[in-house]
Amino acid sequence: MNIKIPDSWLKEHLKTKATAKQIGEYLSLCSQSVEKITKVDHDWLYDIEITTNRPDCLSIYGIARELAVILPRFGITAKLNLLLINHQSLAIDHPLPLEVKITKPSLCPRFTALIFDNVVVKSSPKIVQERLEKAGIRAINNVVDISNYLMLGLGQPMHTFDYDKIKKAKMILRESAGGEKLTTLDGQVRPLPDGTIIIEDGEGRIIDLCGIMGGDNSQVDKKTKRVLLFVQTYGPFRIRQTCQKLAFRTDAASRFEKGVDPEGVMTAMERAIEMFEENCGAKIASNLIDIYPNPPKPKTIKLDLKLVDKIMGIEIPQKEVISILESLGFSIIHSPLSIINCCVPHWRHEDISLPEDLIEEIARIYGYHNLPSNLPPTIVLQQPKNNIFNWEEKTKEALKFWGFTETINYSMVSEQLLKNWEIKPEDCLKIANPLTDEWIYMRTSLVLSLLEVVNNNKKSKAKIFEISNVYLPQNHDQLPEENLMLTGLIIDENFGCLKGIVEALLEEMGINNYQINPYQLQKTFYGKIFHPTRRAEVIIDKAPLGIFGEIKKPLLLKLGIKEKIFVFDLDFKELVKYATTEKKYFPIPKYPPIIEDLSFVIPAKTYVGKIMEMIKTVNPTIKSVDLIDSYEQTRTFRITYQDLNKTLTNKEVEKIREKIIKGLKDKLKVQLKS
Amino acid sequence: MDIVRLQNLKNQAISNILESKSEKDLEQIRIEYLGRHGEITQLISKLPSLKPEKRKDFGLLLNETKKTIEEAIKNQSAILHHRSLGKDEGWFDITLPGLKPPQGHLHLITYAIEEITNIFEKIGFNCIAYPEVEWDWYAFEGLNMPKNHPARDEWETFFIKDLSHPKYGEAVLTPQTSSGQLREMERVGQPPIRMLNIAKCHRRQIDTSHAPMFYQFEGLVIDKNVNITHLKGTLDYFVKQYFGPKKESRIRPFHFQFTEPSFEVDVTCVVCGGRGCKVCKQGWMELGGAGMVHPQVLKNGGIDPTKYTGFAFGWGVERVLMMKYKIDDIRLLFGSDLRFLQQF
Repeated sequence: MNIKIPDSWLKEHLKTKATAKQIGEYLSLCSQSVEKITKVDHDWLYDIEITTNRPDCLSIYGIARELAVILPRFGITAKLNLLLINHQSLAIDHPLPLEVKITKPSLCPRFTALIFDNVVVKSSPKIVQERLEKAGIRAINNVVDISNYLMLGLGQPMHTFDYDKIKKAKMILRESAGGEKLTTLDGQVRPLPDGTIIIEDGEGRIIDLCGIMGGDNSQVDKKTKRVLLFVQTYGPFRIRQTCQKLAFRTDAASRFEKGVDPEGVMTAMERAIEMFEENCGAKIASNLIDIYPNPPKPKTIKLDLKLVDKIMGIEIPQKEVISILESLGFSIIHSPLSIINCCVPHWRHEDISLPEDLIEEIARIYGYHNLPSNLPPTIVLQQPKNNIFNWEEKTKEALKFWGFTETINYSMVSEQLLKNWEIKPEDCLKIANPLTDEWIYMRTSLVLSLLEVVNNNKKSKAKIFEISNVYLPQNHDQLPEENLMLTGLIIDENFGCLKGIVEALLEEMGINNYQINPYQLQKTFYGKIFHPTRRAEVIIDKAPLGIFGEIKKPLLLKLGIKEKIFVFDLDFKELVKYATTEKKYFPIPKYPPIIEDLSFVIPAKTYVGKIMEMIKTVNPTIKSVDLIDSYEQTRTFRITYQDLNKTLTNKEVEKIREKIIKGLKDKLKVQLKS
Repeated sequence: MDIVRLQNLKNQAISNILESKSEKDLEQIRIEYLGRHGEITQLISKLPSLKPEKRKDFGLLLNETKKTIEEAIKNQSAILHHRSLGKDEGWFDITLPGLKPPQGHLHLITYAIEEITNIFEKIGFNCIAYPEVEWDWYAFEGLNMPKNHPARDEWETFFIKDLSHPKYGEAVLTPQTSSGQLREMERVGQPPIRMLNIAKCHRRQIDTSHAPMFYQFEGLVIDKNVNITHLKGTLDYFVKQYFGPKKESRIRPFHFQFTEPSFEVDVTCVVCGGRGCKVCKQGWMELGGAGMVHPQVLKNGGIDPTKYTGFAFGWGVERVLMMKYKIDDIRLLFGSDLRFLQQF
């Protein structure tokens, strides 16, 4: 949460000659981050981000209190003008009545209230109006402005009611139940979630959405004469819950949900009385009501000074530790040993509870910038051998040099996209609170994202890929399987190019023991989107690790894509398990090879791969078989024969050749072309 | 055949070679002497018929003659070729476009991740990836952020419908890589830990500087006697390696529930170099968060906080990259517009 603080207002609480620039820099280094310093009229305005653990800094006074500790560390004198409680007696004759009942003490740890009479509602003095407006709050009237002014000044939100609008001068502070409603003073009708802290008056009307916003029916207006002032603290979780359920938050609520110091309530009440008397000509008309059944017990934390040194990495003298903590308001009980007892100041009661919290206080005031920089001691950790990140990097490089462009697409997709590509939405994880319709389901395939890229780019030629996780749902109490996929897409090439890429990739990964088989299943996602015969799967160790093929034309035409689209989709995580960088050495053959070309006429629908596989397995001297020409039903193969131990003779080759020809003829009806 | 005749044959061959005027003449001469029926070739083929005592000497001489003639032909060929230049072959259009091998493009995020990983691997960090869909326990509760804690507001979190675990709570899309901290502690069991977790994160927000999906990395070091100065040292090392030797880093107080003390990390602004400009805060650019691992988080990860201490740091990959390339809208990175992607 950010607050805006005018320099002139800050200097009312802090006596110092520090410049705005110094204040900005040193506060950032040791406490809260000053994000911007801007000049407004003849004043500086600090825009400060306050972290959630430091509600004590959500006020001008809180920031002044920090600066009074920090600035002297940089050699700049600074003195806080302490706010003290006068404990003046407020007893008066003929006090106006107010009956208060709190159903549960935890709802409202401290409840104070006071009634003023003779209030004249008008504009606030100029200085109040100016300060409020610089800090970003609109001035309304002298009554409402008091509560805003003190909220900014002291961090204590407060509320004012028109006393005469509270029926029977009676208040019951309770939890809301059974779907009640309240019109808040901004005119909105708000349904009240069960458990919301509210106040009802003597006629059962709800008059306040406590800690968040007052009711329309009890607000101060121009005719108001008698004002009931409320200075309270509320259970932070209750306030937060209501704000979340209502998706509605006010400055007051933002403070209450982080915790407001109940010990600060009386200081704020006394300042409020002064302002009511001065700004509104008001007179106190009731006794002070102060319901405070369980004041927090002082908290003492044991701190071992050895731990301070251990975490800060340097030795800090005991004297310095104590002086820093005391300057922050801690009281220290000394001890001869290295252990000291630190009593936490009331404004830090909720935030400080561990020795580590104290160490943070010591270290930040000592100054992180004053600590040395050291690299952690070197150690050698066993790195996993087949590192998936290395393979990812290597594969990406290879694809880049083969002309591919890498894309990174959103892991969330729309329902329409799933439907376009035949994926049932119910087979995907669904986001319970999506941001837009575009991102609702977690994708189960990268193929649809790449097809979407084609659709959006309108290119007639391109090669793209992505390596990302897909999310495959398991049981309702199991995290999805996150599968790292490598998916590539080629526009307007042919099946051979696609297959070549897949084969080259496998080769690059050192995978040789794979098979490429026709993909047979029809009802799967792949079965539905790939051309029924122009698709194949990669099999390793009997497991399918990927598919490649041409996307069905009708699906593409529906989206207005006219080009042929080829896709490969590989289970990268599994592939890496088979990948290796190890190479094998074979001695360079001493004896020359015999190379010959053979042409065959093949029957229709005969897989060339099968023929080549058969030729290769005829005899171990056949070192390689390459397809060098295809024309109509004729296929020409170049066969290399080589023996490692001797020069092959024509006679030996002739025997092998005959075996090849006979085998092909008998098994596949493939005829040698004469 | 005697030695004198061989000498004459050699001299004659050399003089013919030197007088040749064209590559064609030269080839003719080569065939005449060294071709299948050439004079030298024929002499070589007769070698086996010589008496053994003569064979060795003559063989050596013959071989030397062959080499000399081959050398002379090569030299003459070069000379002839050189002469022919300067006539019609002298002009060549080197401005014709070259035939490049295919040029692909990797994503800017990939380049950044590779760079960051390399920097940290050099000082012994182990790369690892943890679930992107994660239980509430690992993403929040176990990191000291119980339900309804205001600290959760920082992370606009996506929840998964109908997915929860009796012990670990609801499933979320991890809004930060810190969710890997407890996973790593559980995996390693006994420190030392030097983790670098780079992963996809998701948050429920979108504008020019926030995409609902983005990348973060998280470093985690746990060991005996790890302290704040080690965190400072590690950040300094990274900043100098990644941004350049002139860049400084600093840590400032901040608050995270899972670290104590907590810091925000700043680096000298990459745009203005520290003088102060529109995009930075008084010369400093906010990089990310860091802190000493909270004792409760160590406990939740099964590590004894009285024996071990640790630090963690992490931030988004895109922010820095956008500064570096002056990209003004994060959504460009995930929009897969090829006109954008093919610039890198």
